[in-house]
Amino acid sequence: MIPDSFLNVKIRWILIIIIATACVEPINFTLPPPQYQTIVEGMISDSPGPYTVKVSKALDLNTDSVYRPPVENARIKLYDDEGNVENFVEISPGVYKTSGAMRGRIAHSYHIRIETEDGKIFESEPDQVNPVGEISSIRYEFESRKKEEKYGDVQADVFNIYLDADAGAKEENYVRWRFTGTYKVVTNPELHEIFLQVSSYRDPLPCSGYIVTPALGGGKLEKVGECSCCTCWVNQYENLPQLSDVQLVSNNQFKNIKIGEVPITPATFYDKYVITVEQLSLTKKTFDFFKLIRAQKEEASSLFQPPSGEIIGNVHSVNSDAAVVGIFWAASMKSKQIAIPRSNIPYLLAPIYFVPDACTKFYSNATTVKPDGWD
Amino acid sequence: MPDKRTKALRKTILVSLLVCSLLFAKGQSTPTILDFKLDGTEKGQSLSTVFASIQKKTAARFYFLPEWIESISFQDSDEPNTLGDALDKLFTGTSLSFFTMYPNTLVIIKDPKQAFLRKNAIEAAHQQQKKIEPRLLGTATNPKKGKVIVSGRVMDLKTGKPLPRTNIQILDTQEGSTTDEIGQFTLSLDPGPHVLEFSFVNFEAKVLDLLAYADGEININMEESPILLDEIIVQDHSTQEIATSRIGQIKFTMKEIKRAPALLGEVDLVKQVQVLPGVTTVGEAATGFNVRGGSVDQNLILYDGMPVFNSSHVFGFFSAFNSEAIRDVSFYRGGIPAEYGGRASSVLDIKSKDGDYKKWNGNAGLGMITSNLMINGPIRKDKTALAASFRSTYSNWLVHSIRTDYADLSKSSVFFYDGTLKLTHLFNENTKLSITGYSSKDAFRLMGDSTYRWSNLQLSAKLDHQFSSKFSSELSAGTSSYGYRVENADPLTASELSYRITTSMVKANFHYQEENHKINFGWQFLFYQFNPGMLKPDSPESNAKSISLDKQYSIENAYYIADEWAISERLTLESGIRLPMFTSLGRASVNIYRPDTPIETGNVTDTIHIKPGRPIKTYYGVEPRLSFRWMASPSSSLKLGYNRMYQYLHLVTNTTAVTPVDIWQPSGYYFRPQRADQISLGYFKDFNEKKYGASAEVFYKAIHNVVDFKDGAQLILNRHLETDLLQGKGKAYGIETSLSKNSGRFTTMLNYTFSRAFRTIAGLTSAESVNRGQQYPASFDQPHIINISWKFNLTKRHFFTGNFTYHSGRPVTIPLSAFQLENTSVAYFSARNQYRIHDYHRLDLALVIEGNHKRKKWAEGTWVFSVYNVYARKNPYTVFFKSSGAGIPRPYQLSIVGTLFPSVSYNVKF
Repeated sequence: MIPDSFLNVKIRWILIIIIATACVEPINFTLPPPQYQTIVEGMISDSPGPYTVKVSKALDLNTDSVYRPPVENARIKLYDDEGNVENFVEISPGVYKTSGAMRGRIAHSYHIRIETEDGKIFESEPDQVNPVGEISSIRYEFESRKKEEKYGDVQADVFNIYLDADAGAKEENYVRWRFTGTYKVVTNPELHEIFLQVSSYRDPLPCSGYIVTPALGGGKLEKVGECSCCTCWVNQYENLPQLSDVQLVSNNQFKNIKIGEVPITPATFYDKYVITVEQLSLTKKTFDFFKLIRAQKEEASSLFQPPSGEIIGNVHSVNSDAAVVGIFWAASMKSKQIAIPRSNIPYLLAPIYFVPDACTKFYSNATTVKPDGWD
Repeated sequence: MPDKRTKALRKTILVSLLVCSLLFAKGQSTPTILDFKLDGTEKGQSLSTVFASIQKKTAARFYFLPEWIESISFQDSDEPNTLGDALDKLFTGTSLSFFTMYPNTLVIIKDPKQAFLRKNAIEAAHQQQKKIEPRLLGTATNPKKGKVIVSGRVMDLKTGKPLPRTNIQILDTQEGSTTDEIGQFTLSLDPGPHVLEFSFVNFEAKVLDLLAYADGEININMEESPILLDEIIVQDHSTQEIATSRIGQIKFTMKEIKRAPALLGEVDLVKQVQVLPGVTTVGEAATGFNVRGGSVDQNLILYDGMPVFNSSHVFGFFSAFNSEAIRDVSFYRGGIPAEYGGRASSVLDIKSKDGDYKKWNGNAGLGMITSNLMINGPIRKDKTALAASFRSTYSNWLVHSIRTDYADLSKSSVFFYDGTLKLTHLFNENTKLSITGYSSKDAFRLMGDSTYRWSNLQLSAKLDHQFSSKFSSELSAGTSSYGYRVENADPLTASELSYRITTSMVKANFHYQEENHKINFGWQFLFYQFNPGMLKPDSPESNAKSISLDKQYSIENAYYIADEWAISERLTLESGIRLPMFTSLGRASVNIYRPDTPIETGNVTDTIHIKPGRPIKTYYGVEPRLSFRWMASPSSSLKLGYNRMYQYLHLVTNTTAVTPVDIWQPSGYYFRPQRADQISLGYFKDFNEKKYGASAEVFYKAIHNVVDFKDGAQLILNRHLETDLLQGKGKAYGIETSLSKNSGRFTTMLNYTFSRAFRTIAGLTSAESVNRGQQYPASFDQPHIINISWKFNLTKRHFFTGNFTYHSGRPVTIPLSAFQLENTSVAYFSARNQYRIHDYHRLDLALVIEGNHKRKKWAEGTWVFSVYNVYARKNPYTVFFKSSGAGIPRPYQLSIVGTLFPSVSYNVKF
């Protein structure tokens, strides 16, 4: 028999030549234009409103921006199963809100009706608010992890977040956990510079509260007011919906459900990291919808990628065959919050990144409004 | 020597033709030499002596070739008569006849057509270096009146095993026949000389120069071809299909494909099946194959009679059968015999090689990926023989060498082996026992912490017994087990997922032959045991949950009977019936759902608990089988086949290609058996003495209760699979055509198939339907398929072979657009299978150099140099989605073999 090593040496170099080109490449299909589809997203819960509905157009697959092309000037109404109606008002392009008059009640169903500017009518199927159990505890565990980058391995530690919860009274509970993380960051917009011809000049952003005197002269920074873009609170959202798995229920309790991960970086733990988990009840229909979305998100990383299915929500076209995908769901909601202090990281974390820019601009999903009860 | 004879014969015929016209012009009134009175002295003398003495007495002239009449002499009992009467009597039953020219000249002629054909047949056999064996039945001097019945048996010289379906050609009359299931044949011939050719794939053809004057028995021993001299890459399907009565049956051997180009030089049985007409595959790394619109699980794969549940190594790159251990393979895609059942689409019946009863020999092969060794020989000469084969891989280097942007494969590993051990014992010439053990194992780790392992293990025994020349039996029993394990080594989620299916089988098969009826009947019993899934944590800190699904048990029982009736020489009808019964047994907990609502966990109203051993549900079936052949002429036939098949085990999968972690689900309370009805009609024709062949076959198949999955289905460790799977209807239709050139230096085969395969799944709600209940193409629907293969003999030892394959791109489900939902990007997918990937085509070439063909040498080596995917086409295997920076999935195609792939392998026989 020819020894392995011989084969290795002899044939490997041939293979390296022939397999140098990747076997994976983009593929293009002739597709209908994405603008033909209307996307509807909204919910009502037993927590106080206002409730939001977003109406937009689908995105092209080749786009790099997640900007939603809004559908403006639509007339939207919220109905319950007792004949009550409330109007949504467009507060920004494509984003519609109620006034807060109506509030979701357990065992009642709700649906919306949308009439667009060009006369198309969309309606959601009535969705019922089911009761939901309480979250009993949220825990976190440090995990040391490495991530492979082109220049070598980098540390990518996380806190894994686990949850225990009461599954509620019903035999079959469809539950979703919505995970939101919030952390505080600081930036230095006053140290912003612009580059003109051959050298850079100090150019503090107006929101920093500083000016430079004399202007463009490379002069001194002078504080003239309070900074309104130096401190932000950034929200991190889950990238796929967490859903209850019937197989994980024992004695009507959800135990050790992993609901998310918190990446440990100098930014996320500049101060502390606050986790808010909402436990939401679902109906079978909305559970199926989120399950399809979760399946699609999960499968993306699987070796045996099963074909994803067409996502069918509960919004339908009433007076035309206009394509629409959407969900308007009703839920009861219980939420719980915990904070992970910086001191729980088992090593000394580097100082936060130096960012000479407005925090709202540098960090996505950032706001300068301090969340309630942050301190 | 033949030259002299030919010339004489030609002369005779020319003369006789010339003379015929003269003869008719003349009146018959004048007395001729035929009126010559015999006086009794000729008794006991040979005809030539008598002619000589007559010639002395009269002016008579006799024209004949001495060898024609050398065996003819006057019998003592012959009454004195005229010469004419005597000759009439003597020539009866021979191909000789006579006439007179002028009153005193007698010309003896031989039937020119028959004589010509016989001569040509013998000459052709000589040229093709076929073995010609003379045989004599009875004596020429005393031929039987009317037809001579010649019967006998064809056997493998080495193993003594009968060779069923051996092709028998009566070359001088251009008629044909085959041996039955137990190697027996019966021919009805005119008395006189005949040339019979016996051929069986992978065996040296044997030509019999038969002088048949009386009924008799001939036993033929055929020898496996020791050298690959004039074989063609693809079996001469056309001639075979004319000869066998069944439509849709193809028989081939591994030897034929060894010289065909293969991926990485690995000769592969399943890859060969994948290029047959009516068969499609979803790609290089796909386990199994699709037959006429059927899914992969609808193929019954038998290895020495036992069902095989996973036929592949390394996710389908290689099949789990070592080609060196295989004797022959029968593939049925239509007109399936009643003996087989339990799958809806096709049967692949693989028979392993027996050991050599005479002497020890072996075979070793070195490839780039695997090496194999086979040895076989007698434990007790002429009594007990052993055949052992083993194949293993050293393919880690290959996986480590693959660089893609998609994944780093350097931490991956691949390992597999398979081995067969077969022991055969001859108790006497009528009784044989065979015991086969087979094992295959795979371990595969790709990228991460998960290791996939799967294995087949089987043991079977078969007792062949011949009660009489008309009645024989095969009793077999065995057990086979297939299972997989997925080990996850990540400490926090460390777990082991396992699955196993164990099958035990008993089968009694009988053959009975009476005149023109060949009857096959029997009984088959199968017991299945499923461990449908178990997940257990295997590290203390693992947070994996321990889950164990209930074991499932099922019984499949079937009776069958079939009769192959040769209504006339041209018409054969095989009709059969199979009566299967399937029961799934407890213990089980079955959820009952609210009627007229979707089968979903939310609609459970009750749970029935079934005690161990109690039936959960029983299904009965009636499966008619029909196969009909009409020989329109000696070189063409028309065939019709119909079969119904029930399938009780369903492979549950939601991936494009079948993976080792798919599960088999028995029919039960919710899963109804699949039922396929297929009708096919074919026309087969040979041209130029079988130099060319052509065939066309059309089929239509309807399948009930095909299984498909719901979008987003969770299949592994699902206690209530009925909530994630759907059943519906399938249909397929198509036409398969083929053209072949079967002899000469250049041989080729060209197949073109047009076929479609559809599914319709319409449930109560959109979640219980696929594509809202509309008909959609099956994921292996490939309308156009072209396969061309050829072989060119450069010299006797050098061959240039190749094949070209084309098929339409298969349907896929793709994202059409994306949208933002709660801060994440979601893709909007098309309805299922509404788009197609690009067409697949590929050219492979190989150069084969064989060792010298001398028989006396210690070993014989064959080199195969091949190039796979010559023009380096990046054929898409599948489409998958990678998220862009904005989280929007974009379609990418994965080509398994995206470049040309040279390889070399060496095989040595000793």
